[in-house]
Amino acid sequence: MEQAALALEMLNITKTFPGVQALDDVSFGCARGEVHALCGENGAGKSTLIKILGGVYQPDSGTIRLDGREVAFSHPIAARRAGISIIHQELSLLPNRSVAENIFLGIEPTRFGLLDRRTMREEARRLLKRLGSSVAPETLAGDLSIAHQQIVEIAKALAVDARILVMDEPTAALDRVDASRLLDLARKLSTEDVSIVFISHRMPEIQTVADRVTVLKDGRTVMTAPLAEAPTSRLVRAMVGRDLTDFYPPRSSQPPGAVALTVRHAGNKRLHGISFEVRAGEIVGVAGLEGSGKNAVARALIGDAPFESGGMEIGGRAVKSRNPRAAIQAGLGRLSDDRKREGLLMQQSVRDNAMLIERAFAPPLGSPTAGPMSPEATDKRLIQLDVRATSFDQEVQFLSGGNQQRVIIARWLARNPEILIFCEPTRGVDVAAKAEIYKIMRETANRGRAILMVSSDLPEIVGVSDRILVMREGALAGELSGGAAEEDVMALAVAQDRESQAMAS
Amino acid sequence: MSESQALVPAPAWRRGSAAPPLLLAGSILLYVGVAFWTGQTKMLETDGVIGLLERMVALGIVALGQTFAIIAGSIDLSVANMISVAAVLASFIMHGRADMMLAAVLVVLAVSALVGVVNGAIISRLKVNPFIATLGVGLILQGLLSASFTDFAGSVPREFQAVAYGSFGVVPYSVAALFVLAALASFVLWATRFGAHLYAVGGNAEGARLAGIRTDLVTTGAHVVCSLSAGVTGLYLASRLRSGAPWIGRDGVYDLESIAVVVIGGTLLAGGRGGVWGTLAGVLLFASLDAAFNMMGVSAYPKLVLRGAIVIAAVAVYTVRTRGHVA
Amino acid sequence: MTLALDEARRRSRAIDAARRINIAAVVFLVFYLTVGVLQPTYLEPAGVMNFLRRAAPLAILASGQIFVLVSGGFDLSVGSLVTLTVIGGSMLTANDPSKTWWAIAVLYAIGFVVGLINGAVVAYLRTPSIIATLGALLSVNGAAMMWCGGAPRGYLPDNFRMFGRFVFHDVPLIKIFPLAIVVLAAVCGLAYWGLHGTVFGRRVFAVGDNARAAELAGVQVAYVRLGVFVISALAAVTAGVMLAGFGGVSIDVGLGLELQAIAACVVGGVQLMGGRGTLVGAVAGALTLTALFALLTLLGLPQPLKETAQGTILIAAVAFGAWRRRRVG
Repeated sequence: MEQAALALEMLNITKTFPGVQALDDVSFGCARGEVHALCGENGAGKSTLIKILGGVYQPDSGTIRLDGREVAFSHPIAARRAGISIIHQELSLLPNRSVAENIFLGIEPTRFGLLDRRTMREEARRLLKRLGSSVAPETLAGDLSIAHQQIVEIAKALAVDARILVMDEPTAALDRVDASRLLDLARKLSTEDVSIVFISHRMPEIQTVADRVTVLKDGRTVMTAPLAEAPTSRLVRAMVGRDLTDFYPPRSSQPPGAVALTVRHAGNKRLHGISFEVRAGEIVGVAGLEGSGKNAVARALIGDAPFESGGMEIGGRAVKSRNPRAAIQAGLGRLSDDRKREGLLMQQSVRDNAMLIERAFAPPLGSPTAGPMSPEATDKRLIQLDVRATSFDQEVQFLSGGNQQRVIIARWLARNPEILIFCEPTRGVDVAAKAEIYKIMRETANRGRAILMVSSDLPEIVGVSDRILVMREGALAGELSGGAAEEDVMALAVAQDRESQAMAS
Repeated sequence: MSESQALVPAPAWRRGSAAPPLLLAGSILLYVGVAFWTGQTKMLETDGVIGLLERMVALGIVALGQTFAIIAGSIDLSVANMISVAAVLASFIMHGRADMMLAAVLVVLAVSALVGVVNGAIISRLKVNPFIATLGVGLILQGLLSASFTDFAGSVPREFQAVAYGSFGVVPYSVAALFVLAALASFVLWATRFGAHLYAVGGNAEGARLAGIRTDLVTTGAHVVCSLSAGVTGLYLASRLRSGAPWIGRDGVYDLESIAVVVIGGTLLAGGRGGVWGTLAGVLLFASLDAAFNMMGVSAYPKLVLRGAIVIAAVAVYTVRTRGHVA
Repeated sequence: MTLALDEARRRSRAIDAARRINIAAVVFLVFYLTVGVLQPTYLEPAGVMNFLRRAAPLAILASGQIFVLVSGGFDLSVGSLVTLTVIGGSMLTANDPSKTWWAIAVLYAIGFVVGLINGAVVAYLRTPSIIATLGALLSVNGAAMMWCGGAPRGYLPDNFRMFGRFVFHDVPLIKIFPLAIVVLAAVCGLAYWGLHGTVFGRRVFAVGDNARAAELAGVQVAYVRLGVFVISALAAVTAGVMLAGFGGVSIDVGLGLELQAIAACVVGGVQLMGGRGTLVGAVAGALTLTALFALLTLLGLPQPLKETAQGTILIAAVAFGAWRRRRVG
């Protein structure tokens, strides 16, 4: 029986950039209606491959075939016209325009030369309905949650009748519930003959939704297999080249020390009645769905959106985090979840980035390399954290995600606050680097610091924390001890729904 | 997670801002208030109000064009010098002769469009910051103009002066033209692909490019519209002053003030949002302020000092609510 | 990392730094030598000294403007501050030399206040610096006009004018040594230390690169902004005092200087979006522009076209900078 031509085939793709071979003879294929997962460490070449598929780059050699026909894309618009739509991690919606206007961006229907707004509205409604969304087409895109925005992006892709949908870490910014909804949507689309290629670092998701998995490593295809032959352990081994048996570092064997941070009945516009303690030597995980307020807690502690009621104590002293500077002076620190927007000084050197906090508090007219800010001391810390860069004078924008995260950690460790809050510490970081960061967190805790870890990554929460605080709708839903099952965490995070389900049945 | 919030579409006024009605009310209050305070209640009669509306025309027309530039995420600081060039060229070509009127208008519009194309090209092809690009072009225009003319040049025939001085009964041609142009601009922004693409390029140029929009053409188009509007303003001023001089644009501070009225009218400086009626409301505010100063007898130099402060204050009132960092 | 790798990397880093500085300086030397070919007096020691004296005000302005540019903003009010300084100087001294020092102190105080207001409007009222300083330009120019009632007095005492005019004669080797160069060296040295040798300078780079990240790291962003605008304003007053020594008192003395200062910085490699730039580059850019204007004058360019040339240079400089960044980044 003759096999139908694959919907998508990328054969022997090679791409070199000055100084770096991004892809070396990479091949992979995707059948019509297949969900194909692409995984690999940062720098493995996934992003480059996707960009070639999307017409952003042209391959040095190799071919791309759609339904057996050879194609070449000189510009993203050509790829789009051929039915390939890429949904990048950074959503490209226009916040001040309506959903309908966004969906038809660049392909607006016209009547007698003027915009046909009625058709736009109706078609948008139809597409959204197909995706199971009841968002109104006139809504401003900026008013939607990330999950809804992503659906609009998919609608945008379907509007040009995309046959191949490529999603780059689609669930990175979503919580469990929204993520599973998105994955269900992907499955549904695949039954409608849309091929889906998605890049993900989240192994459980790949196991849930993929038909086949391809692993890239160092620009080469290491493995392509149907899901049944690709359990997580095999995938991880293929990506990293070794077994990550000690993925999560062992918990501290010593009992936690004195109370470092106490929060009492604190609240603001988004939070109420927050009370908890963190002790020296502990890693306390903060879990919850999107909108539950877990990030708001971190922002309140660091003074970015401060508590308006209730109190905070550090080491027994009452403190108020009126603004980030005051919070840092009181002994707090926070690594933001969005390091590109809130953490990195992209054009400054690795060293300058690592010294930012010291320099925020040093005397303004003093030398910027005096004392603890000396290049020797800085370099020592960077080497200890295993930051990989051509040189520490290199601009930090050229480092990989994992290394950038390490520079930020170096920055905070230089300040050495009593309480350090990590928000989404391994977002955008590949598997091997993740393990390293967990190790750093545990070592910091073992040195007597108190650590709060806010994360949407449940395995991370469950694997790393000594204790888990679960947030729900702006308040603390409950507390669990480390090693609790993911289901227990989820149960606390969504209790509301369960109750309403119980009532409905 | 509730979907119900997402179901409600934003009310129409959210697309612009609450600025227009507020500015309208503020302007009226100011004008009426000062008129009473200084005892010049004559200003509230028809003649006075018409005078106020006439004050809006010059700034209004160029501000309409500036609105297009700013919505597209750009900005045009060459308009003041473009206005001077237009006024001087028109006056020079007409030389007091009615049969040269059409030629003069066509030449001015052609030159304006060309300047717009140059601005657009420097910004989109050479990738020069719009502020620097248009400031540079403005300097070039100013230099060329000063090198060729040092005083009033030529004159405008009586027939052309009708543009500034004629009227349909009580309503002057110029005021009518302003509102017609505003309606036309508003229509283009709402109902054409060009309008939709202007917002797209201003909102997210990279996203617009990936969606297949020719961002360089859109930016250039916005600048052509802006320079054309400056050209029309120059024609109007030539008609009004009966001749054109090289300092007309600079004296009127049309560059800074057109930007200010666009911003206070609710158009984001960063682009991607805003509209024409907000701009006009901003123009009305400035016209009212100007009239108020005259009623209060403020002399020329203090007026300059105040103008700068007012422009800053007018924009600051709007931007003080910005939550992010501004450089 | 091994020691050998370290050495190699350090060496390549040095080469990079050298390369960066050299471009601005090389361009300047090329222009200057061209001028020297056309007018050989420029190559004599006295000619060089005179050239530096003439370039000093722009170099001083650029040394102040670079702080604002690196922080991500623009200061368009410096030209009008120069005008205010010159006119205010003549009004305050009323041709009485004993009042010079007091007048200069008052002018610096005025500059300080203007800079503070500019910085406050940007930092607290969140008005983009383009608008804020353009408005300041209008107001300060208007204030200058108001001060002299529209009729600027043409006189300034000699000791006021000495910063621009005074020249030490019969100096061995270089024949003449203008006081202006001492001022220039002092200002540039101070600016270099401020930008590259202090913690404050690093904060300026941080704010220009990512103000949000700087804030979350504890930097007081508002104070940094106040600081850079004050520095720029004080530099403008200094340049004004110097320019007062060059020519007469007029309302046009500061016209267009803010754009020249920005152009100088851009030619010297300062990035307009903030976060990147060197003081040496800014000064080299100022010298380059001065040499370029000298060249244009020698070639017979009429005065009004100087503005046209300025506009073209500004665009060309920024375009070149943008092109270079696209190639590297």
